[in-house]
Amino acid sequence: MTGILAGAALLILVAEAVLGEKSRKTLPGYIALAAIIASIGLILITQISPAYSLTASHPVFRNDLIGVFFSIVVLIVSALVAAASIEYVKTIGNSAAYNALLLFTAIGMVLLSFAADLLMIIVAWELMSLPTYMLTGFRKRDPDSTEASVKYFILGAFSSGVLLYALSLVYLLAGSTNIATAVTALQKLAPELNPIAILALALLVAGFGLKMSVVPFHMWIPDAYEGAPPTVAALLSSATKKAAFAVAIRVFIVTLPFLQLEWSAIFAILAVATMTLGNVAALTQRMLPRMLAYSSIAQAGYILVGLAVSPYAQSTPMGLVGVLFHSFTHGVMQAAAFIAVAAVSLRLVKSNLDSYSGLGLRMPVTAFTLTIALLGLAGVPPLNGFWSKLVLFSAAVEAGSTVWWGGWLAVIGILNSAFSLGYYAWVIKRMYLDDPEETGRLKEPMGLTGVLVAAALIIIVTGLYPAPIYEFAKNASAALLSASTAAAPR
Amino acid sequence: MTYEAAQLTFETLTPWLVWFIPMLGAILTPLIAKAGDKARNYFAVAVSLLSALLAASMLPAALGGNVIHHQVEWIPALKITAGVLADPIAVLMANIVAWISFLIMVYSIGYMKDETSLTRYWFFMNFFIGNMQLIVLSDNFLQLFFGWEGVGLCSYGLIGFWNRDEEKHWVGTPGHTVWGVPQAYSPTHAGMKAFITTRIGDISFLIGLLILYSVAGTFDFIHLAENKQWASSLAAMGLLIPVGVLIFGGAIGKSAQFPLHEWLPDAMAGPTAVSALIHAATMVKAGVFLMARAGPIFYSAGSGLGVTGFFEAIAWIGAFTAFLAATQAMVAKEVKKVLAYSTVSQIGYMMLGMGVAGLVADFATGYVAGFFHLTSHAIFKAAMFMGAGALIHATETKYMNEMGGLRKSMRITYISMLLAAAGLAGVPLFSGFWSKDAILGATLSVNTPSAVPLTILASATVFITAFYSFRMIGMIFHGEPSHHLEKLEEHGHHIHEAPRVMWLPYAILAVATVAIGLTGPFFEGALHSIAGSSLEKVFELHVEEEGFKLNFVALGISIAGLGVGAFPAYRYYIARTADPSSLVSGGFLAALYRFLENRWYINALYYKVFVYPSVTIGRGLFKVFETGVIDRLSGAAASSSIAVSSVGNWIDVNIIDWFANGTAAAGTVMSRTARRIQSGVTEQYVFIFVIGIIIVILAVLALGSEMN
Repeated sequence: MTGILAGAALLILVAEAVLGEKSRKTLPGYIALAAIIASIGLILITQISPAYSLTASHPVFRNDLIGVFFSIVVLIVSALVAAASIEYVKTIGNSAAYNALLLFTAIGMVLLSFAADLLMIIVAWELMSLPTYMLTGFRKRDPDSTEASVKYFILGAFSSGVLLYALSLVYLLAGSTNIATAVTALQKLAPELNPIAILALALLVAGFGLKMSVVPFHMWIPDAYEGAPPTVAALLSSATKKAAFAVAIRVFIVTLPFLQLEWSAIFAILAVATMTLGNVAALTQRMLPRMLAYSSIAQAGYILVGLAVSPYAQSTPMGLVGVLFHSFTHGVMQAAAFIAVAAVSLRLVKSNLDSYSGLGLRMPVTAFTLTIALLGLAGVPPLNGFWSKLVLFSAAVEAGSTVWWGGWLAVIGILNSAFSLGYYAWVIKRMYLDDPEETGRLKEPMGLTGVLVAAALIIIVTGLYPAPIYEFAKNASAALLSASTAAAPR
Repeated sequence: MTYEAAQLTFETLTPWLVWFIPMLGAILTPLIAKAGDKARNYFAVAVSLLSALLAASMLPAALGGNVIHHQVEWIPALKITAGVLADPIAVLMANIVAWISFLIMVYSIGYMKDETSLTRYWFFMNFFIGNMQLIVLSDNFLQLFFGWEGVGLCSYGLIGFWNRDEEKHWVGTPGHTVWGVPQAYSPTHAGMKAFITTRIGDISFLIGLLILYSVAGTFDFIHLAENKQWASSLAAMGLLIPVGVLIFGGAIGKSAQFPLHEWLPDAMAGPTAVSALIHAATMVKAGVFLMARAGPIFYSAGSGLGVTGFFEAIAWIGAFTAFLAATQAMVAKEVKKVLAYSTVSQIGYMMLGMGVAGLVADFATGYVAGFFHLTSHAIFKAAMFMGAGALIHATETKYMNEMGGLRKSMRITYISMLLAAAGLAGVPLFSGFWSKDAILGATLSVNTPSAVPLTILASATVFITAFYSFRMIGMIFHGEPSHHLEKLEEHGHHIHEAPRVMWLPYAILAVATVAIGLTGPFFEGALHSIAGSSLEKVFELHVEEEGFKLNFVALGISIAGLGVGAFPAYRYYIARTADPSSLVSGGFLAALYRFLENRWYINALYYKVFVYPSVTIGRGLFKVFETGVIDRLSGAAASSSIAVSSVGNWIDVNIIDWFANGTAAAGTVMSRTARRIQSGVTEQYVFIFVIGIIIVILAVLALGSEMN
């Protein structure tokens, strides 16, 4: 399926040269969207019918359900972003380059979801990251956008370096770049090498943490999300972050249990710091993109809760299921919120909260879908965000019977989640209850509202009937865990 | 009760529709509104009528003691199901909610006639009804919680309905401050206050539910009642009572019980129809209903595990709240505030009943008493609120001392309010008399040391209730018209009776108060068998066959309390043979008056301790996060910038170069460029990044050594 994406990306670049002025504006977008949807279809076909299955045991990729789950999540988000971009990019221009970069990022994310080799992780990581630096600075005449891009790039390059160093340390310890082989080797790790393992662990957390938006590696996020085109912010917060979680799961959940390190408590601490700082900071924001950026940080904190408690699961790996589930729900919700911001930014010059006053009357569809997305992010039932948080916090409560902090993690998570409704509801109040400075209906951008309605439908439908996604996440988690124990029986 | 999911028939579909139709109606309201305002208004009322008719269609089966239970799979892997449980008690509650809602919707047509943005109003009203019915008819805690959150949201939206915060919609006396804390609130402030306060309860509820679920593996009421293993597991962890109390915390928030009671009086900033529906008849009863669900489950599963502590907590909170709020109602000046304090107080009675249920020999005694009072209170309090709304419309004031002498000009309202107030005060042969008597009787038979103090609190409240009920009637309807009314007359504004669309709903409810009162013993007996069959069939509790039984001690207390309370009220406010203001001109009574008027200083204390510090911290945080990072570093405080950037340089030289690879090297080049673009910030980010790595390493070391 990566073939389709790469092919499409090249096709767009060729088309750029061939096509006339008019079709140049929108055609690349349609090609990109078609390519992403075709990839989703291909992944689903290979899952449904084993006849078309990819080679199961490729040395650098593992074709397992975790990979399928995350690649579908990132591709759905990419599809939303691509569809929304068709209209949005018209205002920036250079649509071919934009869509080609988008597709390259998508390729990187999909490869990352399936990567089972340290070297492949690095390659896919860079493939995913490099286009996003350019996309962030895509509004090149806007100093904010350029500044955001440069900041993001510096931090991103730095974290890539950290990551490369960390993985080379793992290679040093394990003697293999293949994760499965490495796991076997790490089990027999000599105790005197433990300090190196600690360094590797810390560097891994930092390297992945930058993209996962873990506090204290989050500093670039508010600037980048605010400066980047909102569609790109949607991609960063909903897709590349999730791909980072995918690879983090592969490295941490599979590898770390065999290191004699107390890593889960570290994640618990990071989770508390991340969600609390994210929510508190979000409450003080006056610009919606910045608020969403901090909210996205807080949401990463919830996912970390699942990662932290995953070793203490009893019958079902609830923690891991929660990570997957929330990756999906948060991906769609946050993408919808940023796309709504994109829609508003096409019609209003300012993006501070005051300009959202009375939006319920001025742009009803946008305001309504944004409301759905925000309520979902706050975890209001029956939207899908409620369910994924329920799973995450239940997992933490369940872990409470093994580790003392499990229950407290759940309590802090619930308090944070309740607290977060404060700033989400504030935006909704602004849109529906406050009087705008200027009234008058604004013409809503059709292309974007279509995407928003689709996203809102996903949020509502998977909220009312979350069973299939839960099942999928559960099977994927179970498959990963059984594979990892089979690879290295204790 | 078998667990197999029943077939989907009309009978099993009805409970689903009862809550689904109002929600659907709410969502359709904005579309119907395009067809015109009238169509929209009638559509909204019709939706609530349809829901009420469906609720009524469930009555015959329920009165026969049948239980309708229908369940579908929701998330099979988590053993989470969706379902409706229409047992007799739920059907009864659903009908109370549905029919009172319908009457209030009719009333709203008249009451909200001149308001704008009514689409929002109708949307929230119907959405509220749907969510309330979802609470009532759910067969599990999780689905109930969905409705729970939904009604909270609607309550927030409707309290703050007058979102432009015009002065006339404020609640409280402007200028009145306690310890410098203003006691008058705008509608949006009141909405926010309600939202945040109830949210505290919701969090407690959710935490309790999650612990319950993680141990029991189900949210299902019937599963929890059938399979009691979870209770001993919880008790072994010492969590049985805490979980019960956490769930009760939700009820405390929603039903405005001490210590989360302060939001309800200020919620009166909403339209009066909203106060009648949400803050008197239905939503605030959700907490009592939650206890009607959770109580039997904890009682049957926790018997022998010391679960009585849980019921003691409910009873004490209820009795204390009943007393606390009643005392404040004695001095309130706004008619809606009297009713609001009274609501808090009366719900305290119901909670007392629910708590006492677990402390007496037969669970049904307290349970039926609590539920009986819920029924009678819902009816007479909704009538009083609607009457109050009509009065506020007619007199253009919400203060009782600006009314007076209205009994002639608003005769129907007067009679309706008088009948309802008689119910509230517990005059014999009115509904409140029987239900309050039942609660007192149950409290008397409590077999723990709490019996005496609980009875004293409840009896004191009886007398206070009688006082403030008749004080209200007297101040509004008796004596001479106030200056305010005379001035209105001078300006050609004649006080006249409310239009029929408004008085008919509350007149109907006033008549119902009398009807229940006249048939009290029969009604209570019927309720006993209805609730009994619910308890037996759903929660597998044994209920003793017992008809109506009059408790003469309770009867004596009721009548004595009524006499002692009503007499001064009659003297000062109805006959007006003495001036009440002379009482509080000095000395102890004056101090007491101030204490009560200032809400026992609890409201002011909450603002001082929780609200203001949070606001201060919030402002401080804003400075730290925004102005702090950006402004401070953009040249204002150069010294810190220099320090940070020299660290940044060190990082560039020593660390980035160390990780020498193509990307990072490029990063170094770019970072020099970036430094020219914005001074310091990026370096600070990198600096924090590195500090983060060091912290993680230290944490691994610290925790690792602890583990080994």
